[in-house]
Amino acid sequence: MVRFSYIFSLSLLLFFSIYSYGQDKDSLYAPIKEKEPLVLKGMKVGINVGRFSDYLFKPERTSYEASFDFNLSNRYFGVIEGGLSETNIKKDNYQYSSEGTFVKAGVDFNMLKKYPSDYFGIGVRLGRAAFKHSASNLTYENIHWPTQSLSIDSKSYTTYWLEVSLGIKGELLKNVYFGWSALVRVGISGRKDEQFQPFNIPGFGKGTSAVNLGANYYIYYQIPFNKNK
Amino acid sequence: MRFSTYIFIFLMFFSVFSCSDDVCNEETESTLNLVFIVNDTSLTNIDFIDNLSIYSPEWTDSIHFLDENESGDAVLGFMLSPYSDTSEIIITSKNATEKDTLIILTQREQIFLSKECGFIMDFLIDTVLFTLNYIDSIEINEDEITTAKNGEIQLYF
Repeated sequence: MVRFSYIFSLSLLLFFSIYSYGQDKDSLYAPIKEKEPLVLKGMKVGINVGRFSDYLFKPERTSYEASFDFNLSNRYFGVIEGGLSETNIKKDNYQYSSEGTFVKAGVDFNMLKKYPSDYFGIGVRLGRAAFKHSASNLTYENIHWPTQSLSIDSKSYTTYWLEVSLGIKGELLKNVYFGWSALVRVGISGRKDEQFQPFNIPGFGKGTSAVNLGANYYIYYQIPFNKNK
Repeated sequence: MRFSTYIFIFLMFFSVFSCSDDVCNEETESTLNLVFIVNDTSLTNIDFIDNLSIYSPEWTDSIHFLDENESGDAVLGFMLSPYSDTSEIIITSKNATEKDTLIILTQREQIFLSKECGFIMDFLIDTVLFTLNYIDSIEINEDEITTAKNGEIQLYF
């Protein structure tokens, strides 16, 4: 009898062990979701249309900016932006001119899940500008000192900054996107000159400020890749 | 509402910030204050401070106005020469027989303030040379002169 009870208990234990093994496999563990590999879905070519507002609001400045981004599963975007800027101001008490180019490289991260073709996210860039500026016919109005005219020879600079953006992009037409982003730029190096402080640094903004705020307005065309996937 | 509609709403919102006028509303002059402290009784007897004036050989006028600082000392403010690293200032008083000369050597920094205001000049005082006819000693209290912060030299007579 004791032996029978022992065999019966052992059989039950074995049965439940096998049963629970099956349960483990089917329902106790959540199925492992396989990560989708990042796929290059397209490349956007964009132009900063916000720069054209300079013709109206800042006629002394001419600037152009273009963007290239590489869409990885509409989640990550490798971004390269670049442009050029020229400033010419002629006033009664001074003439100022500057010209230069800039390039920015970084990544955007899309936080949207509901809109697989649109974008709302944050981005980080490292920016570099190379430019030169000069001034002439500088006069200072003062009731005591007789007015004279000063000139400052052309000086060249290289500036670096870090840029963080928060922005959106929406598909207006097939493969045509419009978007804007709010930007915070923090100067890293090459921004200061003790004798002749740069006024406007291409791509960065006001040279006297360590931190500049800004906004971009872009129109993009996306060249689609992987149509069959 | 479509996602693209939100984009245009934000676009309209941000375009408001693009307006500006063409008037300079900022301070453009950097001022150096000379503080006069007279302990010599022979000078107080001739009302040295009340008849004080300063001028530069390059000026066509002079400054007579005297203000007082919080300590009650006489103060006279003016801008250093924006065109030279050297400013020569002569101190005289109506009943005094002698004059004193200050030669203020500076470094200048030109800053493009804005399109409307143009350039401003900041100064850093390097050295002050002076004659000893009535001046006993001087003290540079603030060597940086900007549009936001006045420089200050104290003159003891």
